[in-house]
Amino acid sequence: MTAPAIEPSDINLNNPEHFQREEFHELLRILRHRDPVHWNPPGEVSNGFWSITKYEDILFISRRPEIFISSKGIAGPGIKPEKLAELDFAAQQQNAGGNASIITMDPPRHVKMRRLVNKGFTPRAVNAMEPEIRRVTNEILDRIAHKGECDFVLEVASQLPLAVICGMMGVEQKDWPLMFELTNKVLGSGDPEYQTDIPEEERGTGQAARLTAMKGLQTMLEYFRGVLEDRRQNPRENDLPTILLEAEVDGEKLTEGDILQFCFLLIVAGNETTRNAISGGLQVLCQHPDQKRALIEDPSLMDTAIEEILRWTSPLHHMARTATEDVELRGKQIRAGDRVLMWYPSANRDEDVFPDPYRFDIRRTPNDHLAFGIGEHFCLGAGFARKELKVMFEELFRRFPDIEVVGPPERLRSTFINGIKHMPVQFTPER
Amino acid sequence: MKVRVKAEMCEGHGKCEKAAPEIFKLGDDDISIVLIEGDLPKELEEKAERAYRLCPRQAIELIP
Repeated sequence: MTAPAIEPSDINLNNPEHFQREEFHELLRILRHRDPVHWNPPGEVSNGFWSITKYEDILFISRRPEIFISSKGIAGPGIKPEKLAELDFAAQQQNAGGNASIITMDPPRHVKMRRLVNKGFTPRAVNAMEPEIRRVTNEILDRIAHKGECDFVLEVASQLPLAVICGMMGVEQKDWPLMFELTNKVLGSGDPEYQTDIPEEERGTGQAARLTAMKGLQTMLEYFRGVLEDRRQNPRENDLPTILLEAEVDGEKLTEGDILQFCFLLIVAGNETTRNAISGGLQVLCQHPDQKRALIEDPSLMDTAIEEILRWTSPLHHMARTATEDVELRGKQIRAGDRVLMWYPSANRDEDVFPDPYRFDIRRTPNDHLAFGIGEHFCLGAGFARKELKVMFEELFRRFPDIEVVGPPERLRSTFINGIKHMPVQFTPER
Repeated sequence: MKVRVKAEMCEGHGKCEKAAPEIFKLGDDDISIVLIEGDLPKELEEKAERAYRLCPRQAIELIP
């Protein structure tokens, strides 16, 4: 007996369970094949939205940042306007899409703000940091070296990107665990594990998620208010908060609110996504022992392996945009004001672009995946993500070539972040 | 076909230089420079289109 076929009209991608249970690849495949511009009806609280699942369509939208804007929100479908009044202040704030960080900013201001910091993220800047990234990686690995087993996410994968971005932001090492905790609250807000400020019996609801994200945001903004206070008195070299305090756009200094949002974005974006690419990368390599062995025997495969890990894991499930005019796409009428969600794991398995897309292949070339998005909002930290992945896997396999995942990874409950919260590993300890 | 790089968008990823070294070169400041003034030779148009497609920042403009 076969299970009844799933129809596109049965699919609701606003359900985080599909992503926690890893059913989303199959649902996205059905949409991509049968209804690639798919209207997902509204929920009780959330707006309806268009699900975009073809590679070419995501290019089309990403190339038109003036038409498909980011300033109405970049994650999820958003809350229905008529529901906003019923929800509390926190939810309204969240729905406002943040006031001024570059990820929720549109042209022409977006590029001007981005250019204040992008010199620190170019391939040249990233290469200059490589020795430091390698040193930090080995410090992290030193801490697990004698143990023979650990939670790979908490003790390894999360630690490198956290150290790198906190270093660039001048966050003291004693505060790194706090940055990790607050990032989890903001980006993992829908997961009961991180809803620690909510009474246990109320966890798991949409409201619990909104309050958790708001609490994480407020606490982080408060923290950086203190950092800025310090940097006004004691400016530092090569320090992003100092650079932002001294910067001008169109002849005007940034407001404190702008700078705080910028700092918040850099911290959360800088540590959550790369963490999941590292964890997901080790997971998929352990699922393909022949390829793991090939990579260990021939480290010159590392660059193509990293691109394949990025394609395979697609650390962000989607980015959202809002149409500002009516646009017809594949015969569907997207109206001004409609939300569109671009599903990256689907684009990265699009048969029209990637031959045999469900095969993991560390030698895949070309591999023009969209794991970092493309165009105006292309991931600012992509160079760091690639370098951190490369150095981590080089050092990890050099020191622990027999490392294995020994239990099921615990996945994050989120429609936005392809997260792994915990993943037990074992390896022969160093003597 | 002419090619232009929007310098304000370029962040030095170097995909264009890799795809079409005859047309693009990263300058000392990591911003891509177009080496060919005026119309591209016909045989380079396909490479220019590939560079346009690959640019992560979509900083390349093709002018027919």
